[in-house]
Amino acid sequence: MKHFLYLHLLSARQALVKILRQPFGSLLSLLMLSVALALPLALYLGVESTQAWVGKLTATPQISLFMELSAEDADLAAVKSSLAGNPKVKSVSFVSKAEALAGLEKRNGLDGLAADLDSNPLPDAFVVTPVTLEPGELDMLQKELSGLPMVESAQFDASWAKRLYGMVELVRHLTLFLGAALGLALVLVTHNTIRMQILAHRDEIEVSKLIGASDNFIRRPFLYHALWQGILAGLIAWGLTSWLVATANPAVREFAQLYNERLELRTLTAFELLAMLAATGVLAMLGARLAANHHLRQIEPH
Amino acid sequence: MIQFDQVTKRYPGGNEALKNLSFAIDSGEMVFLAGHSGAGKSTLLKLIAGIERATSGGVLVNGQNLSKLRPSQLPYVRQHIGLVFQDHKILFDRPVFDNVMLPLNIIGFDRRDAAKRVRAALDKVGLLGKEKAMPIHLSGGEQQRLCIARAVVHRPSILLADEPSANLDRAYALDIMELFKSFHQVGVTVVISAHDETLMEDYGRRIIRLREGQFAA
Repeated sequence: MKHFLYLHLLSARQALVKILRQPFGSLLSLLMLSVALALPLALYLGVESTQAWVGKLTATPQISLFMELSAEDADLAAVKSSLAGNPKVKSVSFVSKAEALAGLEKRNGLDGLAADLDSNPLPDAFVVTPVTLEPGELDMLQKELSGLPMVESAQFDASWAKRLYGMVELVRHLTLFLGAALGLALVLVTHNTIRMQILAHRDEIEVSKLIGASDNFIRRPFLYHALWQGILAGLIAWGLTSWLVATANPAVREFAQLYNERLELRTLTAFELLAMLAATGVLAMLGARLAANHHLRQIEPH
Repeated sequence: MIQFDQVTKRYPGGNEALKNLSFAIDSGEMVFLAGHSGAGKSTLLKLIAGIERATSGGVLVNGQNLSKLRPSQLPYVRQHIGLVFQDHKILFDRPVFDNVMLPLNIIGFDRRDAAKRVRAALDKVGLLGKEKAMPIHLSGGEQQRLCIARAVVHRPSILLADEPSANLDRAYALDIMELFKSFHQVGVTVVISAHDETLMEDYGRRIIRLREGQFAA
């Protein structure tokens, strides 16, 4: 067992040294893999960052019910009781026109605005929190509520957020697809790298086989080479995206500021980084294994 | 011990290299294999080393029937055999020392002990001073010695040499034969093939003569 581990350690170290010692050739394929990996990774981070934020917006969709300006107290009471009796409505809060005007003055620093106006131009409003989160049912509820007597309009506050959410979903699917496609590319590129290496070491492999090397022994250095290549490519891709996030974040923050929101792109968590490195390592080894199985069979003796 | 039991080897294409051959070589014996090229000498050695598999019949090496082993087990049989190739099969991309180190890497020998073993083997064949040399700078005779050092460095119980003295002048060939004799004297089973019988007759050892895959009369 100790011997087995020793052999593996030796192979792993030799493979790493080899990658680091022939910088140009391996650097090119490493960079190619890294750039390819950085693309879905950056998309993933973009989606993850905005999805959390968009999810927060849409998690509590609210419908604002604006009353006609001429609505009387009796009308308000009627709407209120109708809302209270509606099983699709979770809770209702009432914002009277006086409260709304006071709020407006306070928020915008327009003290004395009310005094200058002949009458309050703002309507009474109900803010309805529905039970459901399902977009179709929300639409139905919105229509139903706008049909109540003396209701001017029912606005679904989160409708734009819902559209954004849909777009983010789309990008998320794109990320998955790109991730899968470039994962496959990782397998194929490693397959090719290892194939070239096996062909370059044909004599050594033949002699090793002749003097008693098992297939596992011969495969081992190539698999470790692929493993390091996968891990290094993952690390470089991580570095590239981290750099991208760091440079893009000021602009993203500024953009979000325009909408009075706080939004930032995040970098990978330690767990995500480890998972990604494990995935790139395994995919690279898969490519190497396929190449080795195919090409070692062609070298005598069998 | 090596035992052939009605062994036939037919290559794809129908060429029968060995025909129904039975014989035994005792442990520690030194045997010569004679015959013209194409007589089946190389095939016979390859069957012992598990490089080729018999079409029919049993090949027993150190008590193991190679015909019954799975292909994945054959390399481990080869680890107990030393092979000297007619074309040397030296790796020209690395120095003499690393060439001899190869078998020890394969069996996973401890690295420090391995270096001692490599120097001992190089000393035995008279190449100790050239461990850092690249094989391309060695003469034909020295390359053959390098091949022998690689074949014995892991102290195999069986040493197989395919035409080790071909392409060498007689003085060099005798040197090489003396080397094999010294391995035989420490208990190694040695099988040497050659097409030049005059070298063998001086040694008074058993000679297996092959012609077209059968024993020659």
